[in-house]
Amino acid sequence: MRILKHASIIVLALAVLLAAGCSKQTNQGTQLSADKPKIALVMKSLANEFFKTMADGAEAYQKEHASEFDLVVNGIKDELDVNKQVELVEQMIAQGVNAIVIAPADSKALVSVCKKASDAGIIVVNIDNKFDSGALKEAGLTAPFVGPDNRKGAKLVGDELAKHLKAGDKVAILEGAPNAFNGDQRKLGFEEAMKAAGIKIVASQTAYWETDKANEIARDIITANPDIKALLCANDSMALGAVKAVEEAGKAGKIAVVGYDNISAAQQLLQEGKILATADQHADQLAVYGIQYALEMLEKGAAPADKETPVDLVNFVK
Amino acid sequence: MGRSDQHNMKWLTDVLGMGAVLAVLIAFFGLKCENFLTPTNFLGIANQIPAAILIAVGMTLVLITGGIDLSVGSVVGLSGAVLGLAVHQFGLPLALAIPMCLGVGALCGLINGLVVVRWSLPPFIVTLGMLEAARGVTFMLTESRTIYIGSKIGNIASVGIGNVSSLFIMAVITVAVGHLLLNKSAFGRHLIALGSNEQAAYLSGIRTSRVKVLVYVLSGLLCALAAVVITARFASANPNAGSGFELEAIAAVVIGGTSLMGGRGSVVNSFFGVVIIALLGSGLAQMGTEEATKRMITGCVIVLAVILDYYRSRLMVRPEASR
Repeated sequence: MRILKHASIIVLALAVLLAAGCSKQTNQGTQLSADKPKIALVMKSLANEFFKTMADGAEAYQKEHASEFDLVVNGIKDELDVNKQVELVEQMIAQGVNAIVIAPADSKALVSVCKKASDAGIIVVNIDNKFDSGALKEAGLTAPFVGPDNRKGAKLVGDELAKHLKAGDKVAILEGAPNAFNGDQRKLGFEEAMKAAGIKIVASQTAYWETDKANEIARDIITANPDIKALLCANDSMALGAVKAVEEAGKAGKIAVVGYDNISAAQQLLQEGKILATADQHADQLAVYGIQYALEMLEKGAAPADKETPVDLVNFVK
Repeated sequence: MGRSDQHNMKWLTDVLGMGAVLAVLIAFFGLKCENFLTPTNFLGIANQIPAAILIAVGMTLVLITGGIDLSVGSVVGLSGAVLGLAVHQFGLPLALAIPMCLGVGALCGLINGLVVVRWSLPPFIVTLGMLEAARGVTFMLTESRTIYIGSKIGNIASVGIGNVSSLFIMAVITVAVGHLLLNKSAFGRHLIALGSNEQAAYLSGIRTSRVKVLVYVLSGLLCALAAVVITARFASANPNAGSGFELEAIAAVVIGGTSLMGGRGSVVNSFFGVVIIALLGSGLAQMGTEEATKRMITGCVIVLAVILDYYRSRLMVRPEASR
């Protein structure tokens, strides 16, 4: 009897947990009505500040335009969880949504499931991480990319940094996670800017977008190349770690740091000039742009074409 | 051979083994990288590893009981987030915020321990659950955003003796305390007894449940201390802080010769395990090694170090067998 009692308590606890979880879900709009278009936003990891901001922006936009469309937001555990994202898209197809706005975790692996969605008559809009053009062609899928040009943004940041340096100076890059399209684009943009200014890149290594990892790598790069003048970081989280490494090496003011994304934690360092520049892609609007475009396509049946969204330079002003 | 002689012998072979690996690494990177053999580099590494050391000490004690704590990384994240919120959001003084942070870490450990003991569940599963749950709570509390705190907490990291930060000194003291606890106290003997043979330990009058719960509390507490270290160093609390630490800690501890089966281990050697992993990462980065190569080499070194440990313990067992 006692065992039965305890077991029933556990079952009850589970039920309460699930109910709590689900009530949150309905807020996000699982109650789809028949007439309004249903849009599914399939994100990468919502544990990542950047994607969380994107998703929050989309939800805020939906609340303002609640009469126009319904929105379901889903994310995966981390950016490497490609399988889970494929499953999510399949579930959205099964739910019968009208459009899927997706930030693919992998620029190739998600193409075939999105083709399946497209064949089922669902409009697919690509945000954040651009689908590989070769894979798109092979699958016969047309999915417009709505998003910022990361390469251009990084070039802006690099150009701003170059104003503080002179030709022949040495710098290093902290890259995003390997195989991340936006990380590669930012690296290319940095390289382009440095090349144009005649500045030499002596080291370039990945720090997986993370602060602590970036701190270690930056310290090692500074140790191996004590004469470098700047660290170009592919995101602001890494810039936080790089700033600390510069301070710990006693090189504050001698090695400049630039980042990307303009996250809130970087604001104070930007004001103090410890981070010289970063790029703002208006993260809160990125998913909204995609949703707006999907709605436009649904209403007007417009032919899909890529659409570039703005990137602004944010720099330290004395 | 007397018991204490044998003990000394074990110590000697242990330290020699670790020393050999360290020496090889230092010599190799010293030749390959221009500035590797500089005081600045070693100081830099020393200031970088305190958090890893603290976690490894806790992990060593847990592994010795035959358990495992997979939740360390998430507990670091959660207690760091609590510290960040307490200081930044609620403006609490550090004297209040740090104990709160430590309390959260200990609480996570307490939950781990109590669940393991109450339902006799495998710690692997229970702490895996905590790994997920604690990270979830962290994301909820921080809204997945990094909290920038600033110099209010950053100052902890900047004080020190000479160029050695107070954090590294604290970590070394923790290693010393952990070593004494394991080798000179009743609690330490109970940990080893528990890991060697739980049934026998219980029958000989050790309150095994209490020892088990305590060891998880200790691990949680050390994680929270590591969170203080990380938060102080970056003057910010990152919701992803500590992710992946569980595997790094286990690798360091196992390189140090602690058995995953329980009953055998050394806190001091875990410290060296952390140092080996840090030297390796640092040297490879200074050489500018490709990420793929880095990972292959790190993987091989972990396995080689454990194979070396196999021969080291055979070296120790043989004289005993021929006695």
